[in-house]
Amino acid sequence: MTIEFKLPDVGEGVADGEIVQWLVSAGDRVKEHQAVVEVMTDKATVEIPSPADGQISALLAEAGDVVPVGSVIFTLETEGGATVAEPALAAASASGGTAVASAPPAAPPAIKTTTGKVLAVPSARRVARDLGVDLDRVAGSGRHGVVRRADVEAFHSSGAAPASAAPTPAPIQGSGGETRTPFRGVRRKIAEAMVRSAFTAPHFTVIEEVDVTDLVALRGRAKALGAAEGVKVTYMPFIMKATALCLARFPMLNGTLDEETNELVNFHYSNLGIATDTPNGLLVPVIKAVEQKGVLALARELAELAERTRAGKVKPDELVGSTFSITNAGNIGGIMATPIINFPDIAILGVHRLMKKPGVVAGPDGDRIEVRQYMNFSISVDHRLADGADGARFLAYFRTLLEDPGLLSL
Amino acid sequence: MASRTPVSIIEPDGTTPGYDHGLSSGELLRIYSSMVLTRAFDDVCIKLQRSGRIGFSIPNKGIEATQVGCASALSPDDWFFPSYRDFGMPLYHGVEPVEMMNNMFGNAQDSARGRQMPVHFSFVDPIRLVSISSPIGTQIPQAVGAARAFQMRGEDHLCLASFGDGGTSSSGFHSALNFAGVWKAPVIFLCQNNGYAISCPTSSQTASESFGIKGEAYGIPGVIVDGNDVFAVRQAVEQAATRARAGLGPTLIECVTFRMGGHSTSDDPSRYVPKELMEYWAGRDPIMIYESVLFREGHLDEARKTQIAAEAEARVDAAAKQAAATDPPSLETIFSDVYEDIPQHIRTQGEAAFDLVARKGGAAGGGGEFPL
Repeated sequence: MTIEFKLPDVGEGVADGEIVQWLVSAGDRVKEHQAVVEVMTDKATVEIPSPADGQISALLAEAGDVVPVGSVIFTLETEGGATVAEPALAAASASGGTAVASAPPAAPPAIKTTTGKVLAVPSARRVARDLGVDLDRVAGSGRHGVVRRADVEAFHSSGAAPASAAPTPAPIQGSGGETRTPFRGVRRKIAEAMVRSAFTAPHFTVIEEVDVTDLVALRGRAKALGAAEGVKVTYMPFIMKATALCLARFPMLNGTLDEETNELVNFHYSNLGIATDTPNGLLVPVIKAVEQKGVLALARELAELAERTRAGKVKPDELVGSTFSITNAGNIGGIMATPIINFPDIAILGVHRLMKKPGVVAGPDGDRIEVRQYMNFSISVDHRLADGADGARFLAYFRTLLEDPGLLSL
Repeated sequence: MASRTPVSIIEPDGTTPGYDHGLSSGELLRIYSSMVLTRAFDDVCIKLQRSGRIGFSIPNKGIEATQVGCASALSPDDWFFPSYRDFGMPLYHGVEPVEMMNNMFGNAQDSARGRQMPVHFSFVDPIRLVSISSPIGTQIPQAVGAARAFQMRGEDHLCLASFGDGGTSSSGFHSALNFAGVWKAPVIFLCQNNGYAISCPTSSQTASESFGIKGEAYGIPGVIVDGNDVFAVRQAVEQAATRARAGLGPTLIECVTFRMGGHSTSDDPSRYVPKELMEYWAGRDPIMIYESVLFREGHLDEARKTQIAAEAEARVDAAAKQAAATDPPSLETIFSDVYEDIPQHIRTQGEAAFDLVARKGGAAGGGGEFPL
């Protein structure tokens, strides 16, 4: 039989180990308890012995590699198989031949409970969350198809895209006072998306200043109303509502380019991607059919979705399907920005900081100076598919709606 | 008053001036075999842990004379309240290696049914070995309490509290010694001074000149013996037992020895133990010291020595294989051993769990992580 030897946790709670050196070569015959490899963890350097008598069929990591606990580091062919003490913690799914850690599993897809939840051991769920792996897509090798931790890791190392959260990359200390962090996970995905957007769509950006004094007052009243229902009302649902109304008026900004059919697609609904800063990086969950929802309903949905996104519990299908996106830098700072489009959307709206400024107000006795509240909004548009005038018209109408927010109910 | 230098009996040439062990060849070899078996058991446990088959172990190498010397001076009717570094005590008294391996694997035959960490044994037969606790020093007042109970009931058992140098810094050590002294409880305090409490050296553990001298503060005799000299340990424990059985109260015995490994499988002694210290104690190996007596008196020769070592390895190896092949505790054990008669609400929970497993299948084993 084949034993796939997985790097065990050789100290209480170590996550990975560095292969210091192999003490055997592929093809060597080894005895049970014979030292096979020297592994350095953050606690100790230890010799890992063979779990059984047999022949080493493959060494699956190289000296210097840092391998996570649970990854297969060597395979061992044992004779017979009846009397071999199979490692209790190493899932030796013996199928003959040499199994390789990175081979994608060929088993049937994971089974689900009647509630639609994939059956998985707790450690597999945790690792899936850490690695950003969607358990739905992982084939389980455990009894009754239960997904085990190793299945998740094999799936992840096979190159499957992260679905929700990112691995927390273990920084590797380099010399000379720098920190080197593996470029992978969500950061890598963000980079790829940004490059694709910035170098496919020629961006141009229009910026507008909006007097939101009335909106501030309205939101204050809505906040009190929402609080009574346990809903936190921010400015974002008003901005979303205004955006949906604008998109209905300027559909050329609510669409995408179908490059396969060479058709310009304009959507008759507004699915708004909301860029969200999470501990794992920028994610863009989508709120669907915004044009059909009221401000309070949007507030409720937004709070719930943002919470799940930050907690890494957002479902993959909630991260796709936007027709237009909004990015909010206002709560951090900066008076303006040039957002990068959430490709393949056509445009993105940037929301900037709320600030008090002296403003000129027309009154019956002529103009006067008042303390007013302003926000800047920017819109970046894919100039292949829309023109500067479209972006400017969008913002002009957007300004009209937000300066007199009663119009949002029209 | 504690002697300032540890008492030792065995001379480098294997003579024991002024000491008559009074043991038959069979008894001498039982002590020796137990020490060898302890070392083999320890060695295999560390390898099982390193290859991911058990979660944890506690190195025992270097302490065998203290453990076995002490156990050999006590009766199986006495009560053992050991530390987690006392493999030699149950092995000397006839606990089978497989019974201990069952605990290391946490399988269905484990006396704790897998609910304890590895190395946390408990046995009723052939000796009373009270369940080992991870927290430091908790067993010391427990031993005193049990000894006090035997004293009040007029029963003839005595209690052994075994702990390390670090255990003397626990509050339990002080309250235990105090009450044992007041009550003259039939208890023996065996302090195994093995040089380090995890990575904390003795010099950082106490400002006292020794651990043995601490008994004076509680009105208890303290003796200091060479913990790598099996006869010195045995003699000290015999004398303490005689005192205790005569109603003269407790004794504190400091055994000066050395841990020839990590605190547990989770640390690296090379980071905190000076190499020279390791080399010094390697030259004072307790098994080697005892062999010098056995060779000199003709109880052991090279062939017999090789045979005893091979037998120990084979027993431990067979124990590991058997324990590994034994199923984990059944799901039912989650609900058992708490109430004598299972209450209805727990019964209902259990039935729901069994039903779920019947419909969905049981969960698979862990993924190799430490079982905490």
